[in-house]
Amino acid sequence: MISKRQALLGSAGLMLAATLGLGTAMAQETVKVVGVIELSGAGATAGTNYKNGAQMAVDEINAKGGILGKKIDFVVYDTQTNPGNTRAAVQRGVDEGAFAIFGPVFSGPISASMQIAQKAGVPQIVGGEAAGLTKQGVNTIFRTSLNQADAMPKLAEYFKNDVKAKSVAVVWVNNDFGKGGRDAIIPELQKRGIKIAADIATESAQADFAADAIKVKASDADAVFVYLNEEESARFLRAIKQQGYAKPIVGETTLLGAKVIELAGDSAEGAKGHVGLSVDAPNPLFAEFGKKFQAKFNYKSDHNGIKGYSGMYLLKHVAEKNGKFDKEAWLKYAHSAIIRTKDEPGILIDSKWDANGDVDRESFLAEVKGGKQVITGTLPPVSKF
Amino acid sequence: MSRASIFSRIDANLATILIGAAILWFAPAGLKSYGLYVISFWLVMSIAAMGLNLTLGYAGLKSLAQAAFLGIGAYATALITAKGGIAGATWSWPLAFVVSGTLTFLAGVVLGFPALRVKFHYLAFVTLAFATLMFLIFRNEQWLTGGVYGFSNIPRPTLFGAKLNNDLAFFRFVLIVSVLLSLAMWWMLRSPWGRAFQALRENPLRAASLGVNLRNYTLLAFAIGSAYGGLAGALYAPLVEFIDPAPFAVSASFVLLLTVVVGGQGYFLGPFLGAAFSYVLPEVLRFTGGLYLLVYAAMVLILLLISPQGIIGIVEKFRERRRQKDAQDQRDASKAMLGA
Repeated sequence: MISKRQALLGSAGLMLAATLGLGTAMAQETVKVVGVIELSGAGATAGTNYKNGAQMAVDEINAKGGILGKKIDFVVYDTQTNPGNTRAAVQRGVDEGAFAIFGPVFSGPISASMQIAQKAGVPQIVGGEAAGLTKQGVNTIFRTSLNQADAMPKLAEYFKNDVKAKSVAVVWVNNDFGKGGRDAIIPELQKRGIKIAADIATESAQADFAADAIKVKASDADAVFVYLNEEESARFLRAIKQQGYAKPIVGETTLLGAKVIELAGDSAEGAKGHVGLSVDAPNPLFAEFGKKFQAKFNYKSDHNGIKGYSGMYLLKHVAEKNGKFDKEAWLKYAHSAIIRTKDEPGILIDSKWDANGDVDRESFLAEVKGGKQVITGTLPPVSKF
Repeated sequence: MSRASIFSRIDANLATILIGAAILWFAPAGLKSYGLYVISFWLVMSIAAMGLNLTLGYAGLKSLAQAAFLGIGAYATALITAKGGIAGATWSWPLAFVVSGTLTFLAGVVLGFPALRVKFHYLAFVTLAFATLMFLIFRNEQWLTGGVYGFSNIPRPTLFGAKLNNDLAFFRFVLIVSVLLSLAMWWMLRSPWGRAFQALRENPLRAASLGVNLRNYTLLAFAIGSAYGGLAGALYAPLVEFIDPAPFAVSASFVLLLTVVVGGQGYFLGPFLGAAFSYVLPEVLRFTGGLYLLVYAAMVLILLLISPQGIIGIVEKFRERRRQKDAQDQRDASKAMLGA
């Protein structure tokens, strides 16, 4: 009896070992890029956009013959928005000999996995905005969007000069993205003499925002700053409009995203703020990207789609500049890369990466009008390049 | 009676553990870091599930806080071992291991004491509240736990002066600890304690009439089960090297509960099979691409429809059928003799 069971267990173990060890073979004519992206769980909306953007770039690049004559072999592993799974997936990508890891988008899973890529010296192109990510001396991480620490001063200026608010209620989601934004904006507002009338934490995946909306209304602030993930932003907008709130509703990137406008419907009307990337920006390359994305996936891309797309072109441009697939050389070049659209149209907007992996570029002021995001102004990069 | 039959053949369990450990010691030598990580993760979650199996499967108590105990162990370990460790590189992890087990054992006692007076689903409610409370502490007490930003740079333990940075070395370390904890559990289940735990589940009144102190034994089962959660946490933190509150939320406790049920509650090897199902199978199913979670969910549903007793239950079902067939054959044979 025992021997039978042993045999069964043993063979099961061997099969498992074989399955887990598989997939290391890599054809010469392709370069492997592994996406480690939130396709389920709380980050699914953002992750799917990021993946689709990257996929579109891969298809375009491959159609034109690939990078340095090698086609991109782009494989995506879902992380379930869970740090442990993300770590496993990044490890798997590294084991499979990926030239670069693409993703994740949410900051928590990035924190959990970036040391793996660092240990292996594999470039990791992420969608996260939390300020702390690029402060830990990890030399393999590259952002595709502005760091909160760079975006928030721009937004605080906007509160002071455009909204002319004397007091602001801050509503944030209690994860590292939301908390990071909250910790970054509050000192910036106070520095400019703006009072924090209310400081309201909400939960990730929260369904009902009525109580938070009432708190905002009761705070009697001149404006409200909403810093939530996409789906929560839409729910909050609906809740606060139901309270008959008529003061300015200001956000940063997520609040004005295409998905939020779609989900919130009329309630998104009038919401405004700062966006890092937008298909509606007055920039023909963004517009063209937006059209291609819409045609391919049959919905409107949000900023995460742009991040995935331009991130893949960052990968391509730097590899081509180096003239070879060498991770060390790639990292070295990318750590001071200035990529202009005239040299690499796929980057969509002139961008500069620094030694920490932070990106600097123009950004935009926007407002939701007639169910659409309308760009009302353009802000310069933090430092000229 | 099928449970009792497994119990009487418990030496088969011991043999499985020892032979399985020997196979695992050598089998993954060719695996890369990813494979080693997944197998190490499986062992760690098996320990946590083993604890819950004692609570749920043997003592019949529904706990929804096993992931919270895992978290207590993980955070305690992170705090004790990070930044060089409070007791030096060599002794910090052993200290963390003991502290994790002790803390969760005591938490189990404190939590179980009031709840066990009412037993049944009240313990589930109390543990649910506790799990939520612990999640809030992990998340909101940023000065201690790192809050939503998490706790990074948790070191791997140091053994005989050598840091277990090599993934294979660390996997073997996890394996040794898992085997020791499994042996302790095996011994405990064979001891009078284990039989008392079973008696509690099967027939509390009768157990009481035989002189088993109901409250003390249920409390003990719950506390030991919780301590296994904490001990698993002491391995979880250095394995992942980063912790944040998400893996210790209430939903993670439900997954652990599923793990025990799917594996076969009340069976010694159930937690290992269950953990393979809950934590390894989704990784293996990745080849199905975007469908993998759907496929996984369907497999859980089908499995529990076919065999509410879990994976081991299927084996037991076949064995029971064969036993009945043998008995029937004997009856037939004896009938023929009688008729003759």
